[in-house]
Amino acid sequence: MSQYLQVLAPLVPAGLIALVITGLVYAGSARRAKRYRPGRSFDFTPVWFLSAPEQLNGRVDAPAGLASAAAGAALPAAAGAALPASAAAGAALPAGALTDQIAETGGASDRW
Amino acid sequence: MTAGDHPDSGLTGRPEVLDGPFNTRQLLRLDEALRLADQSTGFTFSIYVGELDEPVRGHAEKLHAQLAEPERSVQIAVSPNQRALEIVTGALARRRLPDRDCKLAALSMTAAFSGGDLAGGLVSGLAQLADHAGRS
Repeated sequence: MSQYLQVLAPLVPAGLIALVITGLVYAGSARRAKRYRPGRSFDFTPVWFLSAPEQLNGRVDAPAGLASAAAGAALPAAAGAALPASAAAGAALPAGALTDQIAETGGASDRW
Repeated sequence: MTAGDHPDSGLTGRPEVLDGPFNTRQLLRLDEALRLADQSTGFTFSIYVGELDEPVRGHAEKLHAQLAEPERSVQIAVSPNQRALEIVTGALARRRLPDRDCKLAALSMTAAFSGGDLAGGLVSGLAQLADHAGRS
């Protein structure tokens, strides 16, 4: 029995090192999974950031993808803002009003 | 209200925002960039990151219209999977932030996005837009 222990004892540190390396590899891949890579599918919960929650009207016609995020409520804690819980169910703007506001907008579009 | 304040997230639950495209450090950078942009310009800057319905411009404009003061607001909408970026400015914001300046910021942002840096592109784009808009 003691002979077996003498043979196995040096293998224990090697086993521990192997475990640590395996753990680091998996941790690294989990971190990388979060990263966006152009051309690859990138699944995440849609988010909408504002510096303050009062800057968002109660009349939110939330996009379908955001609805699940809004139901769980929240815009990022870091952004200090949140969609109202009722946002997902919010009523859409009257068509006329929306058209008027959209007509006055500017900006830019781009793709990559 | 923050994610941690919401009853559904609970004390032990994982805030849903962490399922979004950014980690905590990136969220902090975005928060800081948004606050600085708002304070320095007097406008309301907003960032949406998620799928956009076609036509993407129309969808971005609808999101912009949902802000409290759309005429004084700037909406940045990004869809990583569609590789689409839209910047929407309200009527008042547009006077200090012409379309040409928005296009320049958009070019800078898409350059970062094409390198896989969503948060960095947004932060630099916000800074650029705020810089072009100038002081309130």
